[in-house]
Amino acid sequence: MSKRRLLSVLLLTTALLATFSLVSAQDEIQISFWHAMSGSRGEVVQELVDEFNETHPGIEVVAEFSGSYADTLTKALAAVRAGEPPHIVQVYEVGTRAMLDSGAILPVAEVSGGAFDPASFVAPIVNYYSAGGELQCMPFNSSTAMLYYNKDMFAAAGLDPDQPPTTFQEVYDMSRQIMDAGVAQGGISFGWPAWILEQMYAKHDQLLANEDGGRSALATEVYLNNEFGVAVLSEWQRWADDGVLIYGGREYSANDPFIAGEFAMLAQSTSSLAGIESNAPFEVGTAFLPRLEGYDGIGNNVIGGGCLWALAGHDEAENDAMWQFFSFLSETPQSVAWHKGTGYFPSTLEAVDALEAEGWFEENPNFLTAFDQILAGEDTVAAQGVLLGDFVTIRDIVGAAIEESVVNGVDPQEALDAATAEINQLLEDYKSLNE
Amino acid sequence: MRDYIFPNRFLPYLLIAPSALLVIVFFIVPAIQSLQLSFYRVNALSGRQLYVGFENFTRLLTSSDYIQSLTTTGAFIAVVVIFGLSISLAIAVGASLPLRGFGVYRTLLIWPYAVSPAITGAIWALIMDPNIGAITNALESIGINFDYRGNSTHAVIFISAAATWKILGYNIVFFLAGLRNIPRDVVEAAGLDGANAWTRFWRIRFPLLSPIAFFLLIMNTLYAAFETFGLIDITTHGGPGRATNLLIYKLYSDGFKTQNLLGSASAQSVLLLVFVVVLTVIQARTAGKRAFYR
Amino acid sequence: MSVQSTPMAEWSTRATERRLAFQKHVAYPVIMHAVMIAVVIIVLLPLIFAFVLSTQSSADWRIVGNIMPGSNAVENYTIAWERASLGRLMFNTTVVAVSVAVGKIILSMMAAFALVYFRIRGGILILGLIMLTHLLPLPVRIVPTYQLLSSFGWIDTFQGLAVPFFASATGVLLFQQFFRTLTTDLADASRVDGAGPMTFLFRILIPVSRTNIGALFLIEFTYMWNQYLWPLLVANSVQTRQVQIGIKQLIATDATVEWGVLMAGVVTTIIPPLVVLLVLQRSLMAGLSGESEDVR
Repeated sequence: MSKRRLLSVLLLTTALLATFSLVSAQDEIQISFWHAMSGSRGEVVQELVDEFNETHPGIEVVAEFSGSYADTLTKALAAVRAGEPPHIVQVYEVGTRAMLDSGAILPVAEVSGGAFDPASFVAPIVNYYSAGGELQCMPFNSSTAMLYYNKDMFAAAGLDPDQPPTTFQEVYDMSRQIMDAGVAQGGISFGWPAWILEQMYAKHDQLLANEDGGRSALATEVYLNNEFGVAVLSEWQRWADDGVLIYGGREYSANDPFIAGEFAMLAQSTSSLAGIESNAPFEVGTAFLPRLEGYDGIGNNVIGGGCLWALAGHDEAENDAMWQFFSFLSETPQSVAWHKGTGYFPSTLEAVDALEAEGWFEENPNFLTAFDQILAGEDTVAAQGVLLGDFVTIRDIVGAAIEESVVNGVDPQEALDAATAEINQLLEDYKSLNE
Repeated sequence: MRDYIFPNRFLPYLLIAPSALLVIVFFIVPAIQSLQLSFYRVNALSGRQLYVGFENFTRLLTSSDYIQSLTTTGAFIAVVVIFGLSISLAIAVGASLPLRGFGVYRTLLIWPYAVSPAITGAIWALIMDPNIGAITNALESIGINFDYRGNSTHAVIFISAAATWKILGYNIVFFLAGLRNIPRDVVEAAGLDGANAWTRFWRIRFPLLSPIAFFLLIMNTLYAAFETFGLIDITTHGGPGRATNLLIYKLYSDGFKTQNLLGSASAQSVLLLVFVVVLTVIQARTAGKRAFYR
Repeated sequence: MSVQSTPMAEWSTRATERRLAFQKHVAYPVIMHAVMIAVVIIVLLPLIFAFVLSTQSSADWRIVGNIMPGSNAVENYTIAWERASLGRLMFNTTVVAVSVAVGKIILSMMAAFALVYFRIRGGILILGLIMLTHLLPLPVRIVPTYQLLSSFGWIDTFQGLAVPFFASATGVLLFQQFFRTLTTDLADASRVDGAGPMTFLFRILIPVSRTNIGALFLIEFTYMWNQYLWPLLVANSVQTRQVQIGIKQLIATDATVEWGVLMAGVVTTIIPPLVVLLVLQRSLMAGLSGESEDVR
């Protein structure tokens, strides 16, 4: 190789390298994405993000696991307060009001610059996350609650494994039969008990808060201590007193003893399905949440889980990058992978069709239960679920009230009266500061 | 008084300036702001403030939640301090015996000092897990069905036991250091009088240890009150019900998880300050000049 | 705690007594050893269980009463290490803990030096001011301190995690009391030699304070390594996140707790403060009981 050629090769390489580094320095847009998905779900999120980064040169989404839902919301709001918001944050249903009132968000329609079509999404999900008739955040990991049951135990106790309970009384009776047969210590446990109580309100078309559940204006009153709420909690207390209900903590800690066979049924988020199915040494059945006798209103299950919020204060290019990431996540292959890996709803109609076409639901009927459940309900005001200010704290208050009754034997009316008074004061304070 | 050695006039101020500056910026100014915020109702996000006078204080002091949190914290501190001090004193006295090989025990016994409250929570959540915990299973075999998630009394016992265990290492270190400091001849002189070991300990050695015991009493109180946040946040989250909702946990929830209780959280800070001041005054009165260690 | 020196004579008395006790009761040490071994095992039991679990697979620990070590250690430790980015987190925590420990030692030595060896107007007042840090634990001023850091732009930075902890009464008092026990001859001698105060500080004071520096380093390093509440608020990204929060993340799984992985994380994060403790425990004991090899 002659000296000259060597020189030109060197020069060319340098120039290429320089251009390359220049390009990456200029065009690499970093998008911070805070999420609350740990364990196997966290891994699925990371896979999706990695795939996005690979297929979208110039954009780097940095996924940060920032703790539980409550932690993530707390941190996101603190970061907004500190003037350094992340780009995208995953917020659970409880944080919806807080995000709406934060003044720090960018509705999805705005992020997309009008390219977003809510009609392509599953309706109840869009309804939950809409305000003022407009979808506010990008549905990502929507779930609802359903009843899991141990089919082997049902069979062992002489029950029909394909006939799960549909009412509170049946839950009680079947539990007793299972316990009397010595098959399990207890009958049922709950994950997220306060949320299950909210589900009960929505399912029976009972309004939980004034101002249409906080959807037409800021709610100032909850109806937790009304006849319905007390009736539900009294039933639960009776179950607990008779050893039918084994209290299992506020989030997911009841999953372990369910898998270990300490009780036969579990009311839990549909998003635990993949985890439970892969760990349980028995055949898992799933069913709709049971209904309380004497209340015939038909509402629907409330949507829970998380939604991706775009935060304001970033430039055009970054907003566009966020939109690209959102669209990527809602594309059918990604939606399908996400659903299969976790149990969360595929949020677009197209993804549902694709799953049906490949026979996924026939092979995995438990994944269909959650769907059938939300599609079986009526779209009423109460069924949309509530939007409350300071909902995180309100959840804690309700959770504590349920524990007071179920664990500590406090009279349900008394426990709910106290909780209602405390919540109403919070809501009024919230209103006074957000009007 | 001693004579001062170096005549420099400005150097000492220069040496002290960084410490003083940090104290003012990170301690005094924020504390004053806490006091100020406690008279407002504040929206944490928009920063909107409404002056509400003493409302935050009156609400707290009339709220059953706060009172319950206060009494739970008081009981928790009492249990942790009493058991933490007495158990570690007994262990330290045993470990300080002048026997061959006891140095190994002295080293092993202070290991819990390296463990944080949060990690303590993780480990104790494991050994006391209602389903798979080794201790719970042992208890079950003697007929006790221990469930810290589903039983308030058990939850309080659970966090108290874990918090006490965590502080043992720290207390043992200090007691060992104190025991090492007691002149041997004092003990022996008493031994010659024919007093038995028990009376000898309480008459002779304990009075000499009491400054340390008192110092530890204060430090353990502060630990139980403030440092146990991680333990609660990892394990019970204040539940079941409000059984383990200690003041520090409530302060965090109100100040950071809730948007409109910043004022209330500040009022709680002020009340905590009062609590610490009272404690320190008691210490200053009783103990006079003594070092503070963490 | 007032500082007392221990006369050499006492050591020989102690040794005599030790021999006497041993000869008097042959069974006595045996019994005491048995008792102490039992005590040590009971005290360390939680740590032993943590270690055993860190080697078990989920099939192992689901068996009730299974306390035998399993063969899943490599996998558990690998998963914990990767899932919580423990390497990065331990680096972050070391940076913060070491800088706070060193910063505190330097600042508090400077302050104690000023208070003991100089005539300083309002010395008591300044001491009182520094004492205030003890009166105002973080929870008392947490909300405004957080806001202050936001206004500095220090959220999610190492300085945000470390600087608020720099000032402390602990160190100032420790050094102040230690300096007071030193004879004035030391300083006088160096003044006669014509050495200035800074030379005295570096040549004499720092070397004789070795034990106390070691003790304070251990106390502060451990304290910072174990911080939870402040990092929970201030560290947002993996670039600054601290180990204790990593543990919280290992526990916050959405379905079932993976105890083996969690305990692997626990054991990993206990090791650094434990090593520091083992290395510096002599200094700690000596520093606390007011002994120092150099000044007796």
